[in-house]
Amino acid sequence: MASDGVLLSAIGMHKHFGGVHALRGADLEVRRAEVHSLVGANGSGKSTLLNILSGQVAPDGGTITFDGAPISFRDPTRALAAGIATVTQETTLVPELSVAENILLGPRKVRRWFGIDWKASRRRAIEIQQMLGAEFSVDDPVSSLPPDQQQLVEIARALSMNARLLLLDEPTSSLTEAEVESLFALVRSLKRRGLTTIFVSHRLSELFALADRVTILRDGRTVEAGEIGSYDADRIIERMVGAAPVPPAGSAADGAGAAPVLRVRGLSVPGHVHDATLSVGAGEAVGIAGLTGSGRAELLDAIFGTRRPSAGEIELDSALLRHGRVSEAIERGLAYVPGDRKNVGLVLKMTVAENLMMATTSRSMRLRTPPRARERAEARALAEEFGIVAASPDVACSTLSGGNQQKVVIAKWMQCRPRILLMDEPTRGVDVGAKREIYRLLGDAKARGVGILVSSSETEELLLVCDRILVMFRGRIVASIDREHATEANLAHYAMGQQ
Amino acid sequence: MTAATDVEPAPPARKPLVGRLWSWSSGNQFVGVLALLICLVIAFSIVEPRFFTVANIRVMLTGVAILWMVSLGLTVVMLTGGFDLSLGSMLSLSGFIFIGFYLHLGIPALLAVILTVIAGALIGGLVNGFLIGRVGMPFLVVTIGTLSLYQGVTYLVSNGQTTSLTSSLLDAIGFNTALGIPITVWIMIATFFVSLFVLRMTYFGRDVYATGGNPAAARLAGVNVTRTLIAAYAIAGGMAALAGVLQDAFISAASPAGSGTIIFDATAAVLLGGTVLGGGIGGVGGTVVGVLFLGVLQNGLSLAGLAAAWQQVISGAIVILAVLGQQLQRGRRPTFDPGALFRRRRDRA
Repeated sequence: MASDGVLLSAIGMHKHFGGVHALRGADLEVRRAEVHSLVGANGSGKSTLLNILSGQVAPDGGTITFDGAPISFRDPTRALAAGIATVTQETTLVPELSVAENILLGPRKVRRWFGIDWKASRRRAIEIQQMLGAEFSVDDPVSSLPPDQQQLVEIARALSMNARLLLLDEPTSSLTEAEVESLFALVRSLKRRGLTTIFVSHRLSELFALADRVTILRDGRTVEAGEIGSYDADRIIERMVGAAPVPPAGSAADGAGAAPVLRVRGLSVPGHVHDATLSVGAGEAVGIAGLTGSGRAELLDAIFGTRRPSAGEIELDSALLRHGRVSEAIERGLAYVPGDRKNVGLVLKMTVAENLMMATTSRSMRLRTPPRARERAEARALAEEFGIVAASPDVACSTLSGGNQQKVVIAKWMQCRPRILLMDEPTRGVDVGAKREIYRLLGDAKARGVGILVSSSETEELLLVCDRILVMFRGRIVASIDREHATEANLAHYAMGQQ
Repeated sequence: MTAATDVEPAPPARKPLVGRLWSWSSGNQFVGVLALLICLVIAFSIVEPRFFTVANIRVMLTGVAILWMVSLGLTVVMLTGGFDLSLGSMLSLSGFIFIGFYLHLGIPALLAVILTVIAGALIGGLVNGFLIGRVGMPFLVVTIGTLSLYQGVTYLVSNGQTTSLTSSLLDAIGFNTALGIPITVWIMIATFFVSLFVLRMTYFGRDVYATGGNPAAARLAGVNVTRTLIAAYAIAGGMAALAGVLQDAFISAASPAGSGTIIFDATAAVLLGGTVLGGGIGGVGGTVVGVLFLGVLQNGLSLAGLAAAWQQVISGAIVILAVLGQQLQRGRRPTFDPGALFRRRRDRA
């Protein structure tokens, strides 16, 4: 048996994903019957560490000891069998099945000599449900429950497996304040029963409300760990982003003072964006920082028209833009480089030239013949200008690398001579060289007087590109910081809901 | 005229096509089937002296005319990533729509033909197209529904009776020749080139490929996906209506018995031609090769005296094998540019 009450210790964990070194010797020590919080910025390795503990990812190096015995899980079922259960951000429930069936999903139903003993299974589900103090009926389909109750079903499922360690990965991201409170009450009561919890949240207030101890990760390494009582919010943020402030680089900000081209007032998208107000001037680059799920992408979707807002006004050059009209938005000078490039950025089966021309020609008469020779020449010129490496304008976009695909998307929109360029995660999944080129393209667009509104989860990127950075937290714009005053630390501060 | 001119319909469908579609760098999936078709023609010509004759080729071509029309329409729908099961019912219904215009309203035959095609397009666009493109219902659900609906309406308006008609125009369409080539074949050639032009040489054609390739990305780039889908189902409906008129012409009557299985043959032809379920890849060039392949196979096997059951077994097996072959080919080459295999290396460097 383990001494000194340590339930789990992971030492020197390493993990590579392709060229990315996600974990570089991270350590984690969790004591029995405590709520242990794991914190770190985006990309610090929190999720990777959790995925290793739950058996979804195999580590490249390091040792894990659970309950005094070394373990290495090859798949999630083994982690479950050992007593480690995970509740993730997205529920893994089967919506059409009843609560009881979901709690006892898979081989855990009570069996009799032939088939499943449904009555006994149901009783078992009720026992667990009462232990949780949940109000729903075990016969309801899961799809009829609100998100917080669904989360309870997931926790119930974990308990049905006699879990001793519960991994909660951002369990509160889709919950209301009241729901969060009841979830916390549950975690505390489970703690009294001897259950250990590892809790990941981006919201610092939740951390102080729930955790006993905290481990801080940065760039795949454990920075420090300790009692939560010995920390305050500023100290945690400082440790998370590192003490060294990033100096603002790049060209001088010249957009300030210009009359705004894009004005957004009180824009709301139910469940995602609340009352967002912002403006972008000609040649100004405005960033949107915020955690995953804070509503950044949805805000851009709503401005461009691919998602219908429930309220608010969008004004371009002092004239209103109708909601949900993509082709009108394009004609009026909006351009949108979406984050999900593979799924919505390009038609990968079509050629480079066809993709490049798609937006500019979207208002042409449909029965006219595209001037192929001229298009090809224009595509070549664009490829030259934007540094797109492709064998010819006639190859399918699927043959290009991620960075080149992204440059095709940007070139497609710059071709439309936009007034405002909206971008979500402009450099996601592209290599370092392509990243630099994309920043250069953004700089060029800015210099030409294009207003840029860019959302990114990479703070350094925003600090590099933007004149001003807005911070979103739970669908609201909670801060607007000029480049001179923006640091990773103060952006993280607002992004985590601190005032 | 000599035999050489009489067989012309097939070669013009091949020669410029292969070269052009090849250079347009997508939709050359049917090259394998084209090779198979040529082999089949040569084999049948050697084995069966009656096969490569003017008369037989005429029979073969007019025999696939209805399939040709339905397959061309279906190709457009399948390129958008959809499917239209109702085309067979639409065909039967159109046969009676023509009767209605021509016999009951006394509209001149030529105008009645045009009105029938327009009616087919309107029904296809406003029912299937609207429900799928605008309302956003799944295409299988909608077209299974309209399959039954149109068939039912056909029985209602016909009382289950075949209605015979005499029209010199329809007789001409069905049985006359011009320049030694059946009028039917001229219509086939015309519809092929028009659809080839629309798909390959217009912005609308690009919208069709973009909608099938990635509707979300197309919409984001300003493509009117809804309008494209409605137009695609309208084209399919119009082509089915034209097929219905041809059917009337061939049997000098409109029959409610319908062509329930034509949609399966058409699907086979479209798939053989390299248009994929899911959309975005393929084209009408491949489809006509697919149609001719099915026609030649059936015709040749009949001449060889093979029982109808065996013909079905063989053509079914060949469809599966041919599409499997295309899939394997695609698995190795994500792009359809034949040169890509060599160029991609330079791309990376």
